[in-house]
Amino acid sequence: MYETIDEINERIRDGSVRVATAEEMPGIVDELGTAGALKEVDVVTTGTFGAMCSSGVFLNFGHAEIPIRMEKMYLNDVEAHAGLAAVDCYLGATAESETLHADYGGAHVIEDFIAGKTVELRATGKGTDCYPRRAITNEFTLDELNQAVMVNPRNSYQCYDAATNMGNRMVRTYMGCLLPGHRNVTYSGAGCLSPLTNDPHFDVIGSGTPIFLGGANGIVIGEGTQSSPGTGFSTLMTCGNLKDMSPDFIRAATMTGYGVTMYVGVGVPIPLLNEEIVRHTAVRDEDLVTEIVDYGTPVRNRPVIRKVTYAELKSGSVEINGEEVRTAPLSSYKKAREVAGELKKRIEGGGFLMAKATHPIDNTKCNKPMAEKGETVHVSDVMVKSFVTVTGDQTVKEAAKLLLKGDTNHLPVIDKENRLSGIVTTYDISKAFANDVQEATVSEIMVQKVYTTTPDVPIDVAASMLQQNNIGALVVIDANRHVLGLLHSYDLGERVVRREQR
Amino acid sequence: MKLLVDFGNGNTQDPAIASAILETGIAASIERAMMEEDGGWVLLSVEDGEEERFSAALAKRGVASRIQTNSVVYNADECVDCGLCTSLCMKHVFSFDKDWNLVVDADRCVLCGRCAEFCPQRALTVQK
Repeated sequence: MYETIDEINERIRDGSVRVATAEEMPGIVDELGTAGALKEVDVVTTGTFGAMCSSGVFLNFGHAEIPIRMEKMYLNDVEAHAGLAAVDCYLGATAESETLHADYGGAHVIEDFIAGKTVELRATGKGTDCYPRRAITNEFTLDELNQAVMVNPRNSYQCYDAATNMGNRMVRTYMGCLLPGHRNVTYSGAGCLSPLTNDPHFDVIGSGTPIFLGGANGIVIGEGTQSSPGTGFSTLMTCGNLKDMSPDFIRAATMTGYGVTMYVGVGVPIPLLNEEIVRHTAVRDEDLVTEIVDYGTPVRNRPVIRKVTYAELKSGSVEINGEEVRTAPLSSYKKAREVAGELKKRIEGGGFLMAKATHPIDNTKCNKPMAEKGETVHVSDVMVKSFVTVTGDQTVKEAAKLLLKGDTNHLPVIDKENRLSGIVTTYDISKAFANDVQEATVSEIMVQKVYTTTPDVPIDVAASMLQQNNIGALVVIDANRHVLGLLHSYDLGERVVRREQR
Repeated sequence: MKLLVDFGNGNTQDPAIASAILETGIAASIERAMMEEDGGWVLLSVEDGEEERFSAALAKRGVASRIQTNSVVYNADECVDCGLCTSLCMKHVFSFDKDWNLVVDADRCVLCGRCAEFCPQRALTVQK
């Protein structure tokens, strides 16, 4: 049995439409089967409410009596992109204030506009015959703008990695604060209630699909940037009228140590046209698998710690290496339910109609990583490959001789399999001599916590590691902890000097 | 119940907390402490109902203390119930109820301030 969008819209208009939220669907399908659910339910509403950095607004200010071509624009000290003719801009949610930095950004300007507050515009232009004015300062409320349209290049991730930190230093990320030694896990997304988990093959969702966006009735523009349905990580590009949005569903936020972001509520209605679509909306958190990855390693392909379902993540704790670790969402499940509930109410109220997508979304596409073609200097380009090592059973005195012979301050300590097990520096050796323990073995005085890097790490990342830890050298190792070389802070200094002389 | 012991300007020479434990027989555990040469404070956890008696024993030794309660100020208007704080607080101040509302048990707080620092909505403050 098939239904059509027109039939469903007819029921929306006459008030007989039957709407369920995606959370209710597994139970309904269990009870009635897919055919029964198709007969009983017309539309399924989904919802998510989380940090969606890839957001912003197009604003139009109108022309002044003596017009200006605004080339540099600031809204409450937050820079907006003004390379769009004369009186338009795109204000990105994550842009930060020149004065308040991460405490106030584009997202806060957007939030202030929605709350009815006055926002200051400062703009400059070079002055032309048609646009003679070169500077303007003015104040605006949302009502006074001609257009204010939110466009989110990428939101509603189908699935997202959960985050933990296997390192020994706290990291402050867009996934929140991750405590050292995998003491917490954070995750994002509403699981079974998320829009794209309920239509993973884009059977219904496409360009022109009407949605709920930040409290307004918006639409799907098409596939989101970075969208990768082929690997289960699809996204949507969406837009909606800022003037119809509500502070209940748009919230500015700051991820400490990362920066400004914006919480956005998005809900997509899924008209049930056939049993295949019904089956997808019956998805459960138990079926949704993602990976817990190590955000302590700042590379694109972060190490995967384990697979996990949204049901496990939502339970409040998961097991990592035999230990129970607390899990916490970044997105609000309560607000996601509110989004799905509000959308349901609008459809039942007759004010929200379904539409067939005007352009389908390719569900096989896979996202490509950036291929770096520029000149990037890596650790392997700068590290010193000739180095001296010591073993744990050698004496401190022998180590001292090696240090002198090798003309270095750092001696990596290796075990029988040639793997890095510690480090001794001239400081450790001097201390041992001062305490008269030069006959002790290296393993007794070595430092076991070694700061390491790998050859493929960009040099600026290694440099900030040296600086953050206030140390003189990093030991360069491979995946098996075999020592490949040393990266000294003074090697970096020399490299900068050489480049400047070029 | 938490008791915040204030060592003022550091003039106390006696082992006030140890003496108070011996005198009252109340087991007190140290939750957090900040002690320097010129004073500091200690946050103690003592059995519910025993805080007044313990506080009196400290007072006898010239050390001021007060019951530390409502340490976390929670702004429900700012909070979106994301729950990031639930994984950051090792004292389990924050949890969800069955409807995914954030629940704050402020009396468990040991004043570290991590929740306030990392709350994306800046909905939490910690006050001593």
